[in-house]
Amino acid sequence: MDNSKIAHHISENFNKELEDIRNKVLTMGGLVEQQIEQSIQALTSGDIELAEAVIRQDSDVDEFEMMIDAECTQIIALRQPAAFDLRLLLVVLRIINELERIGDLAERIAKVAIQLSTTNEGRTDEYHELKHMAGLVKEMLHASLDSFARMNIEGITNITGSDAAVDREYASIIRQLITQMMEDPRNITRMLDMLWTVRALERIGDHSRYICEHLIYMVKGEDVRHLSQAELEYIMSK
Amino acid sequence: MNRFNTENHVSAPFDRELESIRAQVAMMGKLVEQQVSLAVEAFTNGDVHLAKRVLAQDDAIDKLEKNIDSECTCVIALRQPVGHDLALLIDVIKVTNELEGIAAKAEGIADMTLQLNESTCE
Repeated sequence: MDNSKIAHHISENFNKELEDIRNKVLTMGGLVEQQIEQSIQALTSGDIELAEAVIRQDSDVDEFEMMIDAECTQIIALRQPAAFDLRLLLVVLRIINELERIGDLAERIAKVAIQLSTTNEGRTDEYHELKHMAGLVKEMLHASLDSFARMNIEGITNITGSDAAVDREYASIIRQLITQMMEDPRNITRMLDMLWTVRALERIGDHSRYICEHLIYMVKGEDVRHLSQAELEYIMSK
Repeated sequence: MNRFNTENHVSAPFDRELESIRAQVAMMGKLVEQQVSLAVEAFTNGDVHLAKRVLAQDDAIDKLEKNIDSECTCVIALRQPVGHDLALLIDVIKVTNELEGIAAKAEGIADMTLQLNESTCE
C-alpha cells in the first residue's frame, strides 16, 4: 500500500488521523459493497431474511457517514491543511456522501426483493441479465475504492468507461421488461419492481463514476465533474 | 439572521469572499427552482422546445456548482477558518451538491418529455 501521500507529515498525529480516516472510508466502502451483494442475492433467491438484514444495516452505513464527516471537519479546523491534504479531506466528505447514497439504493433493492418474493408465486426467474449488470456495477465500485485505497488514479478512465457498458445493459433490460409487460399485462407490477432495481443499479454505476471524478480532483486538483468520457481521457493523458 | 455573517470579520476581503459565495448559492438555487418548474411545465404540456431549453440550461448550473466549490475550497485553504465559518463553507459544498442533484432530476424530466413526445409522433 502506498502511504507516501499520507505518511509524510512532520506531525505523527496528523499522519495517524489521515490514515484513520482512510481506513474508516474503506470499511464503510466494504460495508456498502456487501449491502449491494446481499440485496441482489436476496432478490434473486427470494431470501426475505437477507433483505431485512440489508435494510437493518443501512443505519450502520449512515452512522459511518456521520462519524467520518465529523472527523474530517474537525481535522480541517484543527490542522488547517492545504493543497493535497485539504483536497483529500474534502474529497472524503464527497466520497462518503456517494457511498451513503449507494447504501440507500441497496436498501431500495432489498425492499423490492421483499415485495417480489410475495408476488412471485413460485415462479423462478433466471435473472441472468440482472446478475450480469450487478456484477458490472460492483466491479466499478470496487475498483474506485481500490484506487482510493492506493491513492493512485492510474487507469481510472477504465473504471469510468465501464459506465457506458452499464448504461447499455440498463437500456437492454428495460426493453426486455417492456416486451414482457406487453406480452402479459399481469406481469406489469412485477416488471415495475424489476425496473426499480435496474434503475438503482444504474445509479450505483453513476455514483461509482462520481467517486472516480472526486479522486481525479484529489490527485490532480482539477474539477472534472460533468465531463464526457472523452474529455476525461484527454485530461488524464495530459 | 445572516448565517454568512459577512460583516463581522477583521478582514474585509474575507467578508467579500463570503458575500460572493452567498450570492452565487442564492443564484444557483433560483436557477434550479426555475429548471424544476420549466421541466414540469414542459412535461405536462408536451412542450418539446421548453424541454430542450431546460437541457441547454443545465450547463450553467454545473458551472456555478464548480465555481462555488472552488471558491469555498480556496477560502478554506487561504483563510483557514474555524468554527462557524468553516462549518458554513463545508455546508455550502454539500448544498451545491444537493442543488446539482435536483437540477439533474429536472434534466431527467425534460429528457422524458422529449422521449414521450418523440414516441407519440411515430
